[in-house]
Amino acid sequence: MSGVTRAAAACALPGTPLAAVSAGIDACVHCGFCLQACPTYLTLEDENDSPRGRIVLMRALVEGTLPPTDADVRTHIDRCLGCRACETACPSGVPYGQLLEGTRATLARVSPNPWIARFILFVFARRPLLWLAMMGGRVTRALRVSALLSRIPGRVGFAMAMLEATRSPVQRADYIASSDGTRGSVALLTGCVMEGLFADTNRATARTLEANGYRTQPAPGQRCCGALHAHAGDLDTARVLARANVAAFERAGAELVAVNASGCGAMMKEYGELLADDPEWHERAKQVASRVRDVTELLAAAGPQPGAPLPLAVAYDAPCHLLHAQRLSEPPLRVLGAVTGLELLPLEGSEHCCGSAGIYNLIEPETSARVLDVKLENIARSGASIVATGNPGCLMQIGAGLLRTGSRARVAHPVDLLDASYSRAALP
Amino acid sequence: MSALRSRLAAIVGDDRILTRTGELRSYEADGLPGYQKRPSLAVFPGTRDETVAVVRVLADTGTPYVARGAGTGLSGGALADDVVLLGLHRLKRIISIDRDNARAVVEPGVVNSRLTAETRRFGLHYAPDPSSQTACTIGGNVAENAGGPHCLKYGVTLNHVLALTVILPDGTVVTLGSPNGEQEGYDLLGAFIGSEGCFGVVLDATVRLTRDPAAIRTLLADFSSVDAAAQAVSAIIASGIVAAALEMMDANTIQAVEASIYAAGYPTDAAAILLIELDGPAAGLEDDVARVIQFCRSAGARDVRVASDPADRARLWQGRKKAFGAMGRISPHLVVQDAVVPRTKLPAVLATIQRIATEHRVNVCNVFHAGDGNLHPNIGYNADDPDEAARVHVAMTEMMQACIDAGGSITGEHGIGLDKLQYMDRLFTAPTLEAMCALRAVFDPDRRSNPGKVIPIHSCSEWRAAPSVRAAAVR
Ligand SMILES: Cc1cc2nc3c(=O)[nH]c(=O)nc-3n(C[C@H](O)[C@H](O)[C@H](O)COP(=O)(O)OP(=O)(O)OC[C@H]3O[C@@H](n4cnc5c(N)ncnc54)[C@H](O)[C@@H]3O)c2cc1C
Ligand code: SF4
Ligand code: SF4
Repeated sequence: MSGVTRAAAACALPGTPLAAVSAGIDACVHCGFCLQACPTYLTLEDENDSPRGRIVLMRALVEGTLPPTDADVRTHIDRCLGCRACETACPSGVPYGQLLEGTRATLARVSPNPWIARFILFVFARRPLLWLAMMGGRVTRALRVSALLSRIPGRVGFAMAMLEATRSPVQRADYIASSDGTRGSVALLTGCVMEGLFADTNRATARTLEANGYRTQPAPGQRCCGALHAHAGDLDTARVLARANVAAFERAGAELVAVNASGCGAMMKEYGELLADDPEWHERAKQVASRVRDVTELLAAAGPQPGAPLPLAVAYDAPCHLLHAQRLSEPPLRVLGAVTGLELLPLEGSEHCCGSAGIYNLIEPETSARVLDVKLENIARSGASIVATGNPGCLMQIGAGLLRTGSRARVAHPVDLLDASYSRAALP
Repeated sequence: MSALRSRLAAIVGDDRILTRTGELRSYEADGLPGYQKRPSLAVFPGTRDETVAVVRVLADTGTPYVARGAGTGLSGGALADDVVLLGLHRLKRIISIDRDNARAVVEPGVVNSRLTAETRRFGLHYAPDPSSQTACTIGGNVAENAGGPHCLKYGVTLNHVLALTVILPDGTVVTLGSPNGEQEGYDLLGAFIGSEGCFGVVLDATVRLTRDPAAIRTLLADFSSVDAAAQAVSAIIASGIVAAALEMMDANTIQAVEASIYAAGYPTDAAAILLIELDGPAAGLEDDVARVIQFCRSAGARDVRVASDPADRARLWQGRKKAFGAMGRISPHLVVQDAVVPRTKLPAVLATIQRIATEHRVNVCNVFHAGDGNLHPNIGYNADDPDEAARVHVAMTEMMQACIDAGGSITGEHGIGLDKLQYMDRLFTAPTLEAMCALRAVFDPDRRSNPGKVIPIHSCSEWRAAPSVRAAAVR
């Protein structure tokens, strides 16, 4: 017993997506620094639901000491939010996001994802179906069905509340922002849910960029970014979508790509890794990825211009894919800082996931709800009337939670607040 | 086992007991994953009452068990070899904070840094600051008598615990020490702190909180040789200045940190750096700073800079505290040692360690509490390479022997656990080990609490004479 030796083990799952990323497992030194960063560990209190524990399970799969059919492995990997808070806590640089995607893709080969997950992924990968779904959502919202049903218990009620939460809480008049284009040309990823349910925010994104010296232009032919698919282990579909987007943004030709949904931005910034094994596309993907920016990065680089006073008590909640995946903490605060009169209140645990996590809230509703409860308590304590966060999933999850608990606070994208402030400044 | 399982499940609920291989896997190692032992069962009580009830069932059935906090220990202390693992991480309530008397009562699963986070608004903090403080628990700190960079001036865990409520292995709940700090009779509290889970389970701890110093200055000194840095340490200590912390990192460590997410802006071409903190009333502090800078320069420092603001200071410290983890970048596996040598021997021992490393062709990184001579040589290696693993083992053993020969000890703060058992015979005589066995017998006569740790089995005559207990313990 020396404690320094171990039996050399060959990879038990050769040729799988997990084998492809398994070097990352060896970077874990088992120090435990990630435990307190992990929302599922904090709520479920079992190390199997922690990053360190999940990495142990992944290692067991690679070494063949646990089979990919092991039900416990599946449970604990399924319960991961994919929020990647463990990455920003890890001194050893474990690429947890990659490990998770590789593991999920490997497990999905053995036993498929739940039907609801497969259904959603199917819809997001097909333009006509996606259009229909978003249309249905908008009609439901316009007819106030979502408002009516948002408080009924169960999954349907929660889904209705999510839809209802997409209604923008800030009023603004349309204004024309004129740009001198000195900061360069920007193509927008309009996104699926963003264009479908947050069209106002997309318009606000274009206007605020223009007002800060960018020239915006469309990028026709773009698709869903593929993040939902990649996170659920459907890497093949994610790659199909990524290739379509690489081509679309090459065609658009703009210097930069602006994304206002942090989950999509994180995915697009990683297109190079996603297509690493595709000789024809790898370089092109890396090139496009290098041009991708979160909208708040672009605005922060330009100042941004201050707007007219908007006296609101706002708390900022960091989307995981902005803070932990893209590692951006300052830019959204700079955007909020440009809204004069806005009071920024501290929000405890703003670095923790809200439990939305793509489609996690639909497939792991119980854990998701427990994670959300913590967030809602912190929001209540902050005293904010608006929670600003830059990702559609988070906006809908937190917004739904607020509606269903009878809170009077509402959610808004930081860009919406800046836009409202500009729109007031433009008023005669 | 299934009878025991159902009795425990009746207390904590079915989902708080793990028995399947897949689920126990995560509990097979602590912060030193070179050792792995599988528990027979893991149980996670959620309240103090549940914990008491669980320990009583274990007593009733004569079942051996091992307490576990966050599993960040670096000596394999929380490993359960086919016995029950008792996880205390769910007991994470801060029971009370007494601002006026600067003390707090906490459950054992409270994470060290959370206590400071919760008391900061009163201008107080919990002084023992192990580098693992964002992960490790107060219960684990008490069991290991944990130290940290700032323990040089403020003292280790032992100096900050006023009282403990403990459940002994036979199920009796006792209070050791007194919240008012006065001790009557023998210092049982002192005996318990550092007992590595062998004397019982901590149910709550009354700890001392420390007032935040009025002023703090953090210095980063950059040296082109380890020896020069060691000379600076000696000079500072000889001057009588009591630094709050005095830490050294060598070139390998600096490079690992600078490549990590916790990059602190350390000079990557330095052979060694010292991180020195001075604190206290503002008056006189600048004089001390000037003198320390002078000592560093005389010893040959290339540069000494003072942290510009609290953010800069925090960054310098983050790098130090995450250094061990950052070494994971260099190589897939890591062993860490923990030895204390007389401070005057530091330069010589460091040179010997380097010589041993070169001789056995292993890559050693040194990051340690220079101020109290607490060395942490870390060796990164690839465990899948049997030849390299064998060389690492020999090098480690020789390094520990070098520390013992220099008049040092084999643990400063990580404890003996499993990992250092092999060195106990070298450091202590048979009668001393027998005396330790006798002390243990006072708390845990059946040796059911953390069996097989700290004292090598063969050194306990009574133990040898009681094969039935041993069989139960190692079953
Ligand atoms: C990166 C890194 C840096 C570190 N730096 C330092 C440092 O600077 N200083 C230092 O001293 N240590 C350090 N350590 C070691 C470790 O963090 C400490 O030993 C810590 O005190 C262990 O706490 P834990 O909660 O993780 O305990 P565990 O590892 O879970 O257990 C450690 C021991 O405590 C016992 N135990 C746990 N809870 C209880 C309880 N409630 N009652 C009775 N016994 C109990 C266990 O049985 C075991 O023997 C470091 C570790 C890592 C990984
Ligand atoms: S912080 Fe990183 S190295 Fe440490 S246990 Fe977590 S994943 Fe592993
Ligand atoms: S991604 Fe989030 S939920 Fe998953 S292990 Fe990391 S911190 Fe935990």
